[in-house]
Amino acid sequence: MEEIAITITLAMLVLIALTALLSRTLLVAVILMSVFSLVSALLFYLCDAPDVAITEAAVGAGVTTLIYVWAIHRTKDKP
Amino acid sequence: MRSAAKTDILDTVSRKLGPYVLLFGFYMISHGHMSPGGGFQGGVVLASGAILILLGCQSHRLEGLFSSEILSLVETAAYFLFIMVGIAGIIFAGYFLASPFKGSVPWMMYTLNMIIGIKVGAGVGLICLAILHRS
Repeated sequence: MEEIAITITLAMLVLIALTALLSRTLLVAVILMSVFSLVSALLFYLCDAPDVAITEAAVGAGVTTLIYVWAIHRTKDKP
Repeated sequence: MRSAAKTDILDTVSRKLGPYVLLFGFYMISHGHMSPGGGFQGGVVLASGAILILLGCQSHRLEGLFSSEILSLVETAAYFLFIMVGIAGIIFAGYFLASPFKGSVPWMMYTLNMIIGIKVGAGVGLICLAILHRS
């Protein structure tokens, strides 16, 4: 049962990464990377590493998204 | 942050959610020796809560609350304290970062978790504060 859940989570990670790679807008890609961080935190939790899951959720979804959004805000985004 | 980019939703949600995130960070630091969490994770959660509060309040009020000089002073003081605790382990128990306390209560782990939590929270908060001040 656990292996099935891990496999589904890995497939979701690949799908989210491909969607972020193929997206047109930079902001959509940043938000999709935040979703990637949350799903990989779920994967770490399924692999019995709750410490790493907490760190991934806090750093990946919080601080990194803030820094990326600030960088997009500071630079000129040509659509 | 530019004040034109703010809405009422961002203001209300970040001001209401920020103290609970701070409380969870303190819980994670002080309970880190038994449950998942600890100094680094709790410190990052503390910094996220501080950033949430800082996004929610007005721009002229955040200067006194989280000034960058105070944050850098706190970070360096926590680092100095960490080194001092390690040297106290050399003096009192024989080797670096050894616990000088006897008994079943892990006082050394409490102390190191607190110091690391304060240091990481101040450091990550300082990074985000420097970024937000430039824009």
